[in-house]
Amino acid sequence: MKRQVPLVLCFVFGIAMIFTRFSPHSVSQWIYEEVISWVLIIGPFALVLATVTLIQTHTTRIRRRTEHWQYSLVVFAGLTIMVVIGIRFGPQNSIFEWLYNNVQLPMDATMFSLLAFFIASAAYRAFRARTFEASLLLITAVVVMMGNVPMGDFIWNSIMSWSPWADKVSEARQWILDNPNLSARRGIILGVSLGVISQSIRIILGIERSYLGGGD
Amino acid sequence: MLKTTQWIVVTLVLCLSVGTAFSQGLAPPSSVTAMDTPNDDGSSITIKWDAAAEGSGISGYQILRQIAGGDLEEIGELLPAGTTTYVDSAIEKGTAYTYIVRAVGETEATVDSEQTPLVEGTGEWFHTGKIPLLIAMLLFSAAILWNIYDARSGKDIFVRRIPGLEAVDEAIGRATEMGRSILYSLGLGGVSGVATIASMTILGQVARRTADYETPLRVPCRDPIVLNVVREMVKTAYLEEGRPDVYNEDDIFFVTSSQFAYAAGVEGMMLREKPAAIFLQGTFYAESLILAETGNSVGAIQIAGTDSEHQLPFFIAACDYTLIGEELYAASAYLSREPMLLGSLRGQDWGKFLIFAAIILGVALELSGTGWITTFLQRVS
Repeated sequence: MKRQVPLVLCFVFGIAMIFTRFSPHSVSQWIYEEVISWVLIIGPFALVLATVTLIQTHTTRIRRRTEHWQYSLVVFAGLTIMVVIGIRFGPQNSIFEWLYNNVQLPMDATMFSLLAFFIASAAYRAFRARTFEASLLLITAVVVMMGNVPMGDFIWNSIMSWSPWADKVSEARQWILDNPNLSARRGIILGVSLGVISQSIRIILGIERSYLGGGD
Repeated sequence: MLKTTQWIVVTLVLCLSVGTAFSQGLAPPSSVTAMDTPNDDGSSITIKWDAAAEGSGISGYQILRQIAGGDLEEIGELLPAGTTTYVDSAIEKGTAYTYIVRAVGETEATVDSEQTPLVEGTGEWFHTGKIPLLIAMLLFSAAILWNIYDARSGKDIFVRRIPGLEAVDEAIGRATEMGRSILYSLGLGGVSGVATIASMTILGQVARRTADYETPLRVPCRDPIVLNVVREMVKTAYLEEGRPDVYNEDDIFFVTSSQFAYAAGVEGMMLREKPAAIFLQGTFYAESLILAETGNSVGAIQIAGTDSEHQLPFFIAACDYTLIGEELYAASAYLSREPMLLGSLRGQDWGKFLIFAAIILGVALELSGTGWITTFLQRVS
């Protein structure tokens, strides 16, 4: 019974959602909007449980004095301050907004900016010309980079001024992006789309049930 | 008195003559029809009329609407001269309307079309424009279902080797031997994301093995609903392996819903705990490379998988194994080797074959100057 009920619900709602895709009638659109609303309603309940696990995790870290446990105190301080101000004064409160704009956003931006360095280190490993494929990747990457960066044209034209490929780097970059790159991407997208449909059919029909936990 | 009456009559005749003279150049809009807009939820009516001939002197059209028994009212703005269609989306369902199309001349003279019969907006239960999509969906679904049915007979189904999934046991074994934990991230996707569900199925298989080997499995979650589902399914996996004592609920925990704060949290875990194996499976965005590069720096064996094609190059560059797109969805069948799931994989391949054949046929027909397949496929999309 514990398994049958979710499987039946999954089948019924799966079919209903497919039906709404093909039916413009107001009833089917109402069903669609209603189901989406239910998902939104479940969210806050799950968030309470999630917050409890967050508190449990960091309490355990502090109690056991694990490595860098002091950061868990920062988590509690941040959580308490934002929750108290948010609930007491609302999200439009100037202190709440100040904390968001001057603490959370800069930290997010800092993490995002780290990406540039990670790209450099990953590119260094990927572009080491040890094999034919890696060499091909390196040459392609150089052309695309030259075509993208503001100084790329200047550098390319300075180096390649003697060759018939001078002034062609932007065209070459565009060709690479429009042809081999786009073809590969479309191939992946086609595969992903078929995979999604196949996975959805398996879930709707109850053939794929491992997400419920365990086998049968 | 007689003189005054004569004067009024003459003035009226003159006015009428001038009005007629002005409107003589304007022909009323012809073939005006009003009909329920097809393939909608009944919230609009479409009015159509014939285009005016060139040099007709028409500068625009004004649509007039009347409810049965009510007054005529102007709706919408003055339409440009070349317009031949107007969709009235401001109707009430269940109310019948009649329409007049008024042609407005350059001299601001007007002439009205005949009034259309009463028409009512009704919602359709099926969108006829989506028939090609339905056919494509049914064909593909039939291919999958037939293969699932066929697989039940116990036929041996060949599935090509997927190195990323072959390496799952290797990664778990490595973590067990080294006495370190396994980190499993489901990415940023919600529970309704198919990639997240696919990731959960892989996690279920991983959990069964970690239960056997008593290897700690750490799952930081970004979505509260995913957290609760994952806890339940990992717990069941441990129970079914007969090792409920090894299951630790605290190892599956919520980090935050914020994208980069999640990345920072998981990155911190990697650096502190130095897991021997890292699984990054699901939907990822810009944080993909942050996580993969940090995992690489701590020397963990990394198996990534995503359907976000923009993040795939990052994973390929930074991880040991990457499940590319559809391979993520094949994981459940591949790892469990259940015949019915494997059958669906073969059905998926049939779908690919159909698409491949359609591409070849489409190119050949386009080259020979026939474009019907292109038109058909455009309607499917």
